[in-house]
Amino acid sequence: MIHDEDQDALAAEYVLGTLDPDERAQTQALISVDAGFAALVCQWERRLGDLHAMVDPIEPPQTTWDKIKARISQVAPAAEVRLPEVPPPPPAPEPAPSPPTGQVIDFNRRLNRWRAATASIGALAAALMVFVALAEFMPDGLPGALRPKVPAARLVAVLQRDELAPAFLLTVDTATRTMTVRRVSAGIEPGYSYELWMVSPRLGTPRSLGLVSNDEFTQRPMLASYDPDTINTATYAVSLEPEGGSKTGAPTGPVLWTGKLVEATP
Amino acid sequence: MLLTSAELVWLLAGVAKGDQAAFERLYAATRAKLYGVVLRILRRQDLADEVMQETFVKIWTSAAQFDPALSSPITWMVAIARNRAIDIVRKKSEISIEEEPEAMEVAGESPDPMAKRAMTEDLRKLLGCIGKLESERQRMILLAYYHGWSREQLAVKLDKPVNTIKTWLRRSLIEIRECIGS
Repeated sequence: MIHDEDQDALAAEYVLGTLDPDERAQTQALISVDAGFAALVCQWERRLGDLHAMVDPIEPPQTTWDKIKARISQVAPAAEVRLPEVPPPPPAPEPAPSPPTGQVIDFNRRLNRWRAATASIGALAAALMVFVALAEFMPDGLPGALRPKVPAARLVAVLQRDELAPAFLLTVDTATRTMTVRRVSAGIEPGYSYELWMVSPRLGTPRSLGLVSNDEFTQRPMLASYDPDTINTATYAVSLEPEGGSKTGAPTGPVLWTGKLVEATP
Repeated sequence: MLLTSAELVWLLAGVAKGDQAAFERLYAATRAKLYGVVLRILRRQDLADEVMQETFVKIWTSAAQFDPALSSPITWMVAIARNRAIDIVRKKSEISIEEEPEAMEVAGESPDPMAKRAMTEDLRKLLGCIGKLESERQRMILLAYYHGWSREQLAVKLDKPVNTIKTWLRRSLIEIRECIGS
């Protein structure tokens, strides 16, 4: 396989957005010349693309549309580029085991590109060290965009047993200290209730956050009495309890799902 | 007002033929989603406005290259917008080190909790796979995706050397790929 793990990792990081400007420019060049690499990028866009579904829509200013309209009146409509009925060609097929000379040359070019990329990444290391030193010793000297931000975070925990079966999504709005539990795949057990617990060394014993209702969503201001640090660092767990919940104040049934909050803030 | 995927595909086909009415409807249906995505990354309305313009000009000129067999229309459009936004935010943080981001105007932000959004089977699976990562790495992936943070910013935020972040990013993405299995 000509597109190895390094190329796939580059495609992945390009889509995630963590490459630096030089690497992004190189990657964009690679996309335009290498159909196989472009296909890797496309696969990553498909893998990660659905994350946008969790971003709040925000209305742009009215004037944005006027500017777009003015700009497209000056560019050729898409029809002159290609008709929609003609689908783009499929990604270039894998080369044959014994490629003709032309492809060998192409591969050498690619190697040179990679050498160039590696060299430029090396050159950046010094700049990064300066950056890290700055970050450590004078955080206020950093540009605003690079300073660690403390947004009014929305935190999410995926409560699950294995990776393919998230049972509940716990969302915490730190501004209002409201939590929302979304039932994803957990079934309803007749005669039993699911109870949500907060487990933290700061609290000693697990604290009940109440029962998870049989509806798809359970929303409660249950977290008001806990400090943000405890909320952020606790483990959340759901146990199966007798109907109406644990009578002892501690989990009595099996703990079926656990998870920790991470900052999602979409 | 996000239309169904099939409606967006149909509008994009119209745009590819130069249909301005289809383009206006496509804009109306997707502008708030795309603006939400880019404003979160850029945190400045003037830059987000510029990226919206560039994104929709690109959609206008390259709608014919959209292939419904390869991606969903909204994913394709978000990818164009995000890529542009990240290109700009990367360059910004290098060039103008004294520049402060404007306070973000959040008045227009809709209050519906994330948990109540439509969740596709693919998203559910993806979240499951991200959820399988160690919690610091989950944060890293989500901060990178939603805020467009660079490795250096992630290194500061997570208090780790940039090289560690590089390794984490690579490993986490491979784990996600293997977990999704496609």
